[in-house]
Amino acid sequence: MKTICTLACSCLALTLSHAADAPTGAKEGKAEFRSMGPLAFSPDGTLFVADTKSAAITALATGGEKADAKPVKIEDLDKKVAALLGTAPDQISLNDMAAHPLSHEIYLAVSRGRGPNATPVLLKADASGKITEVSLEKVKHSRAQLPDAPVDGVTGEGRRQSNPRMESITDIAFLEDRVLVAGLSNEEFSSTLRAIPYPFKTVEGGTSVEIYHGAHGKFETKSPVRTFVPFMVGKEPELLAAYTCTPLVRFPISALKPGAKIRGKTIAELGNRNRPLDMIVYNKGGKDFLLLANSARGIMKISTDGIEAAGAIEEPVSGGGAKGQAYDTIAGWTGVEQLDKFGDALAVVLRKTETGVMTLESLPLP
Amino acid sequence: MRRESLFWIGGAADSGRQPQAKRLLSPFFGPVLLLAAASSAAAAPEIRWLTEQTSVEVSGIETAGLPGADAPPEKWVAHFSVRTAGADFPAMLGRWSVEGKALRFTPRFLFSAGMSYEATWQPAEGKPVKSQHTVPKAAAAPAALVAYIFPGSDTVPENLLKFYLHFSAPMSGGGIYKFIHLRDDTGKEVELPFLELDEELWDREHQRLTLFIDPGRIKREVKPLEDIGPALVAGKQFTLVIDAAWLDAKGQHLLRSAEKNFTVTAPDRTPPDPKSWQLTPAAAGTKDPLRVTFSEPLDHALALRLITVAEVAGLAALDDQGRHWTFTPDIPWPGGPHRLVIQPELEDLAGNSIGKPFEVDLTGTDNKPQTPRRPVEIAFP
Repeated sequence: MKTICTLACSCLALTLSHAADAPTGAKEGKAEFRSMGPLAFSPDGTLFVADTKSAAITALATGGEKADAKPVKIEDLDKKVAALLGTAPDQISLNDMAAHPLSHEIYLAVSRGRGPNATPVLLKADASGKITEVSLEKVKHSRAQLPDAPVDGVTGEGRRQSNPRMESITDIAFLEDRVLVAGLSNEEFSSTLRAIPYPFKTVEGGTSVEIYHGAHGKFETKSPVRTFVPFMVGKEPELLAAYTCTPLVRFPISALKPGAKIRGKTIAELGNRNRPLDMIVYNKGGKDFLLLANSARGIMKISTDGIEAAGAIEEPVSGGGAKGQAYDTIAGWTGVEQLDKFGDALAVVLRKTETGVMTLESLPLP
Repeated sequence: MRRESLFWIGGAADSGRQPQAKRLLSPFFGPVLLLAAASSAAAAPEIRWLTEQTSVEVSGIETAGLPGADAPPEKWVAHFSVRTAGADFPAMLGRWSVEGKALRFTPRFLFSAGMSYEATWQPAEGKPVKSQHTVPKAAAAPAALVAYIFPGSDTVPENLLKFYLHFSAPMSGGGIYKFIHLRDDTGKEVELPFLELDEELWDREHQRLTLFIDPGRIKREVKPLEDIGPALVAGKQFTLVIDAAWLDAKGQHLLRSAEKNFTVTAPDRTPPDPKSWQLTPAAAGTKDPLRVTFSEPLDHALALRLITVAEVAGLAALDDQGRHWTFTPDIPWPGGPHRLVIQPELEDLAGNSIGKPFEVDLTGTDNKPQTPRRPVEIAFP
């Protein structure tokens, strides 16, 4: 999972004995997907699945009885998933992972095949290591269609009926009454964030904004958001977004208004030659921390101390180094590609060893 | 056509998903591929693979003790399981059905071409009965190759934003960046020049990949990046290399590697200005193309999608240099005047769009909504 909701909405979950039966306004039937990318849960166990190929977000009722998070370790996850699907490990992709906030089952968005006809499959793993398919044949669900091409004009060169523009969904999160969706077009260079009211009342795509950050001095670019997480800065709900080349940027959710161009505040530069992969927020010892998985710089535990008053980084950081919020690199958490919060004291990670063994396992939050 | 299409209504998807439509099993197409029998005894369990990819069944068994129809998979797996051969991993997902005196397993997805499977029947007493089956590999198809790389010009600005790689056939995704290299004029590989996204920016058919230069590696106007440096430098030559090891969607290597050599010129920080374009209209009553010459090369995909002629259907084309755009109407041109409509998202090679440079000075921006940009229109006779 690339994001997790950590705001006041989590209190709501405590009043429920088990997971929500259905997303509000949902219909029961077959939930159709052309692809499954980023996943996010609401605190009551509604699963939001991003389908880039359909340019849609689907909310699925998951059921699931409340259960404590028990330690889990599944080695060779990619090989086991491939075996379940009757194919070779190099023919599957593990696109995202999210832990059910109540049942603590671990949901996996998987593709079988690597070409244009790859089939999406939703799986879940329990603490015993058993992996099963989540049936989508008869499930309560609702769907929000994102606007696909902003302008759908004539296309040329013999492919008149097809529009090759797609908007990849790079991350989603649920926050109180809306689904936040970060997207990136494969044509015009635009990094957008949409806030879609939930329950989905209409098929509106929500609000689109452009996000800028100030890490490079006067001139600012529309860098793509890689992963983001809602986070309380004082009493203000904000988004903390990690970009490629790892600036960490915050901006108020209240700024997500139609047509807005949001200037984010860069609060940390975490070093170059590196991509952020996934991020969660957790509380330990009364303090909030961010945990950020990176492609080249390991897992960073980032302090939020003073984040409210921290000034923005406005100048390039020399030497490819880091600046801003203090962080520790967590030794031992190597090869983490995806992570999610797993109960109060654990994280669940998908990691790959140097020898290529893919393992799904829970680890104590550092 | 695969043989299983004779058995299923709805047709099997290329992806291997088993159709959900009602199954019609023709009496003329009984078990056609007998691969293993446990023994020659008439009543002995016998495993048969039904066609190459759809299902497998065991006959000659006592079905009375089998689980009920709603039993969970693990109950069935204890009796009759199918695994990918050669590894001790979980049994395949699928469904089990009793067909007369036989127990049939239909996998959730078709058995894959080129893969080997092992079915195991565990009788109540005695040794398990096993059968292996290898699905023939798919017939070889012509290997894919890189058909075009855009921009097609021999020169690009230092702040070039993206390449488009067009392939002749659908490609395999996942881990693609290791097949793409940018080399300088000494042959040295430029480190991490591209925006590497897990999502990989394909079109729906997986025949076009959008390859962004990492915005953090594009040289800026005020001063260059102080550490890793820009990916492209004016005055120098570079080569974009696509490895032949990249697999197409059928799992075959590219027919050959591809290279694009280009020279880097000064950065372009000026938005495209349609007022400077030259239009050469066609005569009414003809199907001759409208010709538009841009003042600079424009983004290939966007120029084809975002420039239209109001109320006239037709076909747009752009030359390799990205400067000469034509529009051929479906029917002869009606009398004018006409309007060329340009959406403001249209970009040049450096990502500057109509009325807006790629890099924006947002000093003093107060996060208030801004006026949306409107399409630009140019009238022509």
